[in-house]
Amino acid sequence: MTGGSWLCLLAPLVGTILILLGGSWIPRIVAAWVATTSVFVAFGGAVWAFFSLRNQTGHHGEITTAWTWLQSGSFKVGLELLVDPLSTMMMLIVSGVGGLIVLYSIGYMDGDEEERRYFAYIAFFVFSMLLLVQGGNLLMLLVGWGLVGLSSYLLIGFWHDRPSAVQAAKKAFVMNAFGDATMALAFFILIAHTNSLSFGVLNAHLSSTQANLVALGLLGGAVAKSAQIPLQTWLPDAMEGPTPVSALIHAATMVTAGVYLIARTHAIFEQARTIELIAAGTGALTLLVAGLIALVQTDIKRVIAYSTMSQIGYMFLGAGVGGYANGMFHLMTHAFFKALLFMTAGLAIHAIANEQDIRKLRGLGRVMPFTKWCFLAGALALVGVPPFAGFFSKDPIIASTLNIGWYGYVFYACGIAGAFLTGLYTFRLWFLVFPGEPSPFVREHYHDHHGREAAWTMLVPVGILAVLATVGGWIQFPPHWEPITHWLAPVAPSLADAVPSSTQETVTSIVTVLVGLAGIAVAWAVYSERRIAIPAAPFWRRLFENKFYFDWLYDRIFYAPSAWLATALRREFEEPVVLQTGPELGDTTLATGSLVRRLQTGLLRTYVLLLAAGAAGVVLAFLIAK
Amino acid sequence: MSGPDVAWYLATAAVLFGIGALGVLIRRNTLIVLLSLELMLNAGNLALIALSRHWHNGAGQIFALAVMAIAASEVCVGLGLVVALNRRNLSLDVDTLSELRG
Repeated sequence: MTGGSWLCLLAPLVGTILILLGGSWIPRIVAAWVATTSVFVAFGGAVWAFFSLRNQTGHHGEITTAWTWLQSGSFKVGLELLVDPLSTMMMLIVSGVGGLIVLYSIGYMDGDEEERRYFAYIAFFVFSMLLLVQGGNLLMLLVGWGLVGLSSYLLIGFWHDRPSAVQAAKKAFVMNAFGDATMALAFFILIAHTNSLSFGVLNAHLSSTQANLVALGLLGGAVAKSAQIPLQTWLPDAMEGPTPVSALIHAATMVTAGVYLIARTHAIFEQARTIELIAAGTGALTLLVAGLIALVQTDIKRVIAYSTMSQIGYMFLGAGVGGYANGMFHLMTHAFFKALLFMTAGLAIHAIANEQDIRKLRGLGRVMPFTKWCFLAGALALVGVPPFAGFFSKDPIIASTLNIGWYGYVFYACGIAGAFLTGLYTFRLWFLVFPGEPSPFVREHYHDHHGREAAWTMLVPVGILAVLATVGGWIQFPPHWEPITHWLAPVAPSLADAVPSSTQETVTSIVTVLVGLAGIAVAWAVYSERRIAIPAAPFWRRLFENKFYFDWLYDRIFYAPSAWLATALRREFEEPVVLQTGPELGDTTLATGSLVRRLQTGLLRTYVLLLAAGAAGVVLAFLIAK
Repeated sequence: MSGPDVAWYLATAAVLFGIGALGVLIRRNTLIVLLSLELMLNAGNLALIALSRHWHNGAGQIFALAVMAIAASEVCVGLGLVVALNRRNLSLDVDTLSELRG
């Protein structure tokens, strides 16, 4: 069991090191296959761990310690991995979907100048993400958390000659670092009061202030990593990275780490129930805001990015009200269909001269039928139309909000409204891009790959994910069939409040599906060949197009004052003080030097005379002193 | 204890050291300067051995042996320099060898 987990963790690291050591000695394609193989080996390890855990009675999991990593007095942290139902589920998702996406990258990145660097980074990302989900204590989790932020930074800024990519990478890194810092502060509080960072201390009894602060710190980390309000602005910009990176990091794995964190540390959130409900509220707010912004985006990847924010909002909502299994299940199905949507968008971008503007891509379905049908599967799964995956995972989340009090009804309304928005923005994208006659731009720029839409390395993963997006939801259909809830029960049992009655579940499912279909219908009426004009609402349109002015606000609050301070310091301090002092120091040194150099005559006998005089002086001094 | 008083030895050593130092200071031929240096070192040795005997302490003699070894190495380097100077047809006058002045 633990062998599987170590294999799973270390295989991508070994892949990274091999590619780094290989450098330009190995051909590009070898680097690509090393990365792909290492991630699939990791998947093998995850499957091994999964089956051995399943055979364990009660499957509570096991911690394996390599060695003691840190020791300071009685405080001790081991280099530990945890194999339990929650971590194996994440391992399977990360390495499975990750492997498919790395395989897809082989075709997508073909011909890029620095392909080897890309594959080293992406294997390193998979390693970091696996460390995050497998870490056996909070410190290991934080290490994985930080490394994931680093590799995300490296991959967003992969095309480092584009200034926008570099800026996006910096933005993502800084916002994630903020979350890392609040998490570290939470851990300091835990160390101060319990002297330990094992997952067990989360059950320890803390005073309500302490529990609230710890939970708030963890929530800060989760919100930053998962791009929830108010730290959401980095995710859309992160679309500057290569599309497989968006699929892997900014859809399927890293951004869902916040949900994993809440499920993993649910004990502390249950002690601080207010904070947990704030998490749910954050999710509800984000899913609405992101859904509204997605309505007006014109970049195909940004629409999907906002949709990701919105779906993670659902997961936060599910985990926040206490239905951890619901959140994790939606995380899994979302990994399938969102990676699928990104990868089909990548197929289109790759085939149409890297164009991402949906206004130019009309009628793409005629030339790329495979892409079209796969995208449709992903879109239906996203909207939650039965029998696609999203239907099974999204409805329980919305239904689970009904029994927690009056705010539950607010969350419920948000969830239903979000379902409508999901249908609307997803099928706006669909009707704008795929049906109809190809636009002149598409006709002119479409290039196939030896008669197919793309290389087989790209088509095969997309096909597999299309199947998973269709059938992946069938493994759980509450309340009749709940293997995932049972699987996670030993680690993260759902709260009693978060289990809806059978009637609530059924009604919610029906309402959600109808609302989603209504969204699709509106999208069809408005966007397919422009049957109905879009109502002119300049205020709302401006509000959505400016992303609710979050970037503007942060610019005013954080950037502008520090830029003002820097300019003032430069004018008042650097120029008069620093810039003057430097040359003066130099001049003085030079002047002193030119005086002292005269002592260096080059005449041996002068030196000897001075030596002798010195020695005589010393002798004389001793004689006098005596 | 037979033989002259230790003061005589020390006086001899001082005179030898003075001659050597004077030679280093006033002579300009590199070879003579090296010779004078040897004289100074050996004056030091004489003083060491004399005092070693006077205080019945063997350390001074050991020290003298070390000084001899150092003197030998120093002569190797010094004579090597002289040979190198000669090969390049440079003057052996120490006053003309002043390239390293500041």
